Amino acid sequence: MWHKISWRLLQHELRRGELTIMAAAIALSVCAVLSLSLFSERLQAGLLERSAEFLAADRVLRSRDEVNTEWLQQASDEGLRWARRTSFNSMAFAANDMALVDIKAVSSEYPLRGQLEVGNQAFAEGAPTDELPQSGEAWVASQLFQRLELALGDTLEIGNSEFTVTQVLTHEPDSGLNVFTDSPNVLIGYDDLAATGLIQPGSRVNYHYLFAGDNADIERFESWLLPQLDDVTQRWQGITDGDTPLASSLQRAEQFMLLASLLGVVLAATAVAVAAQRYCQRNYDAVAIMKTLGGSRGLISRIFTLHLLLLTFFSIALGTLLGYLLQAGVIYFVAAYLEQSLPSAGSGPYFLAIGTGLLCALMFSLYPLLRLIKVPPLRVLQRDLAQSSLRAWLQWLIGGGTIYVLMVVYSSSWLLSAALFAGGSMAVLVLLGISRLFIRASRTAGMQAGSSWRLAMAGMQRRAKQNSVQMISFATALMLFLLVLALRNELLADWQNQLPDDAPNYFVVNVADDQVAELNAMFEREQISATDLYPIVPGRLMAINDELVRDAVSKEERDASEFREGFGRELQLTWRADLPPNNDLTAGDWFSEEETGSVSVESQVADRLNLVVGDELRFSVGGDEFTVPVSSIREVDWNTMQPNFYMIFDPATLQTSSATYIASFYLAPERSDELYELFRNFPQVSLIDVDTIIGQLREVIEQVSLAITFVLVLVVLAGALVLVAQVQATLEEREKELVILRTLGAPGKLLSRAVTYEFVILGALAGLIAAVAMELSVFLLQTQVFAMQPSIHWRFWILGPVLGATIVALLGKAVCARLLAQNAAGLIRRLS
Amino acid sequence: MIIQTTAVSKKVETSAGPLTILHAITLAIKAGESVAIVGASGSGKSTLLSLLAGLDIATTGQVLIDNENLGDLDEEQRAKIRADKVGFIFQSFLLIPSLTALENVMLPAELAGRKDAEDQARELLGKVGLGERLTHYPNQLSGGEQQRVAIARAFIGQPKILFADEPTGNLDSTTGHTVEALLFEMNKAHGTTLVMVTHDSTLAQKCDRVLEMQAGELKEQSVNVA
Repeated sequence: MWHKISWRLLQHELRRGELTIMAAAIALSVCAVLSLSLFSERLQAGLLERSAEFLAADRVLRSRDEVNTEWLQQASDEGLRWARRTSFNSMAFAANDMALVDIKAVSSEYPLRGQLEVGNQAFAEGAPTDELPQSGEAWVASQLFQRLELALGDTLEIGNSEFTVTQVLTHEPDSGLNVFTDSPNVLIGYDDLAATGLIQPGSRVNYHYLFAGDNADIERFESWLLPQLDDVTQRWQGITDGDTPLASSLQRAEQFMLLASLLGVVLAATAVAVAAQRYCQRNYDAVAIMKTLGGSRGLISRIFTLHLLLLTFFSIALGTLLGYLLQAGVIYFVAAYLEQSLPSAGSGPYFLAIGTGLLCALMFSLYPLLRLIKVPPLRVLQRDLAQSSLRAWLQWLIGGGTIYVLMVVYSSSWLLSAALFAGGSMAVLVLLGISRLFIRASRTAGMQAGSSWRLAMAGMQRRAKQNSVQMISFATALMLFLLVLALRNELLADWQNQLPDDAPNYFVVNVADDQVAELNAMFEREQISATDLYPIVPGRLMAINDELVRDAVSKEERDASEFREGFGRELQLTWRADLPPNNDLTAGDWFSEEETGSVSVESQVADRLNLVVGDELRFSVGGDEFTVPVSSIREVDWNTMQPNFYMIFDPATLQTSSATYIASFYLAPERSDELYELFRNFPQVSLIDVDTIIGQLREVIEQVSLAITFVLVLVVLAGALVLVAQVQATLEEREKELVILRTLGAPGKLLSRAVTYEFVILGALAGLIAAVAMELSVFLLQTQVFAMQPSIHWRFWILGPVLGATIVALLGKAVCARLLAQNAAGLIRRLS
Repeated sequence: MIIQTTAVSKKVETSAGPLTILHAITLAIKAGESVAIVGASGSGKSTLLSLLAGLDIATTGQVLIDNENLGDLDEEQRAKIRADKVGFIFQSFLLIPSLTALENVMLPAELAGRKDAEDQARELLGKVGLGERLTHYPNQLSGGEQQRVAIARAFIGQPKILFADEPTGNLDSTTGHTVEALLFEMNKAHGTTLVMVTHDSTLAQKCDRVLEMQAGELKEQSVNVA
């Protein structure tokens, strides 16, 4: 019998719109979580897939020696695909000339991610191909055609072998941004490598092993392999942990999405909590009546628990459907725009969303439900009786605990969650105090104002407790909205700044000392915007404060004793009189004109090598060794397309004529045909085209911006729902007041204005509090999480109160409109 | 005696200290009798009603319904007594707004697990003249109609005692009279004991006996000779 009563109540109440807010709150939380996590999982997978192309694989193992074949066997056993890429420098001979080239011998599986592009004309657009050079064939980069005056079909001699040049190699997915590899690439098949006879004991060869496969398989292999690696000669690299220009953008985007969806869920949970409270309050009378009519507590518990469960399941089903459709719709439009299909997501998001919905609905309803079931039957005679012995701290404990659990589930970090949670709780307490203060002050102010205002202020004062809770919700919703909006703008601006439309798209390297002036003149004549030409001298870091570093000694010695961490490879050194653009000093001073003989170190390197200003570094350059102190530490923005350096010397210390020079410049895509002509007079310089890389970067940023906008919309929806739920919750109280005022003859206009003013004041105060809280949060997030420059957002200080007043007043008026339109008799009837 | 009280008093704690609402009330009501409790506002009428109906318990003294001492029973057992033996009618009707007239009437029978709830409810609604308005919600009914639904609901459990708290207090006089007439008629037909709290002396005069409350004490018991 009892289940019939539950079902009947649910049916009628749903139809009559009495459960709309509660159902909408649960459905929205499920819908938001589902669409967001489906979307971000698919986008993330798409991004990683795209980014993996920068490595031509998901992970790369770089080694100075061939690795144990067991490792490769293990990779196959784990279900991974793998490929070899062996590269080294060698001379290549054409009919009447020779040049230093970078030979890459690749196995037939290469590339595992991304595609090679080839063409039949140097410096022209290529087309993607799935082929590789056949045995006896070589694909050659444009620069080499220029340098050796090659044509397709010519013969290229490398070591003991002869190769026929069959394609112009226009793009390799993993060519990366390492502009210091100034020798053009020659791609040959791995099986042709041995015959060249170029690989001898002691040759300097880079053995790269590329791996790709399912994330889980890769991670299993990774945890098996990592402990076995030699950290000096071997390096394991993935897309997000390399020094690729994408890594930091991706990480920030990931953090942002996590944070925003977390905030969205907290908002939706708040809406559920408010709605659940009201849901139970509405049923106080029903419970009292049922108890009076002889219903036992057990029976009534069953009726309302089932009612709530049915409502929850209904709302979750609705939310799941909406979430799926929303996400599918967004993906449909985005996919057309991205020219790339996104991989589909697993079942994870569904579990997450349904779990979130259940957790929110049940945990936030638990306390009100317990109170509901405890309502005494005497309430039928004493209407204000709803008191029960349950303590309010229980509600805070259950609610707080639920939010914390949600945070942990989302961030998978109990520490981050604890920090956010503690911060949030503190903020709520402070806000509560401030809002009480505001409300009290506004009452005093209202006494001097007109009657609508006085009524509005009196209303606020009378509902001070409810209002301060309501104000916190408004303020929190507004704050989260402003926060997401501000961060979105900051992040986008930050990324856009790194890649302005005229970001350099070519690097020119290998420029001789005597050509610097001529090249600069050419840039100026042709109106090409270029960076300064930076000299490059290869060198090694030998010792820090007279302690030898590990890579300065042989492997045997290294293993035998402790050495200080070194750089691990040859460095490209430069000198310069003034601080390069996009470099910021974090310690020490830049070189002064009088003082000479010091070096400025990039901050990440300084961290890794434990360097501070004043440390003495010994370098070996071209056979000479010298020691200089560190005079400053610089932060470098590695995402800019300009030459960047770990070590910069003052001009007096390093200046030598044996340096070559490097610069980057922007040439509009439509002028790319001119390249050959422009650089004809500089046959030995090399050009590196980074247009494709910039294109890829831009695409990634566009995808992320879209995702962020999507998150913003969801946060706005969740915030609006909280507002509506809150106003709804005070509706009955208002109803009583309106009846009294109407009966006393208050004109409709006065009441309508009083209601508007009350919401305007509430909203404006909430908006102001929100702006202040937002500013603090943004500051913390920018400095602690995103590693960005903090900034102040003055316009949000105006936007906050205006937005708050407008939104809250509109929503509040909309919810109360039906009440205000009633005449006194109608209102009295509603109450009775 | 269907209802019997011995020296029942009720004390509550207020911010100004303990307050005695009822002072040692002793009374007895016979089965089938109709009794009106009258008195000024705050005289303790409603509190007495809540004790007699087992909605609340006395601080001292005994309340017996059908020879069961309510003081010995817990909340659940008192609910059982209400389900089996008691019906209620309230000034503000107290229908469940999201249930139709028919469903409101069915509710007590369903809570008691009776299978014939719907048939009984239809029949009773027919008797109170609302046979055509079964699927209407409370807010689609007038005050008088709502109270008639409440009367039908009160009788579906075939109660031995019917408690009414100002049953016509929210109604205009014409509607009030109709509802009164219906109430007494149903009461007579079912042989129910009626205990009614009212301000209305005309209504009180229609009962077999009138108990007058003054400042928490039972002052006077007058018997009406019909």
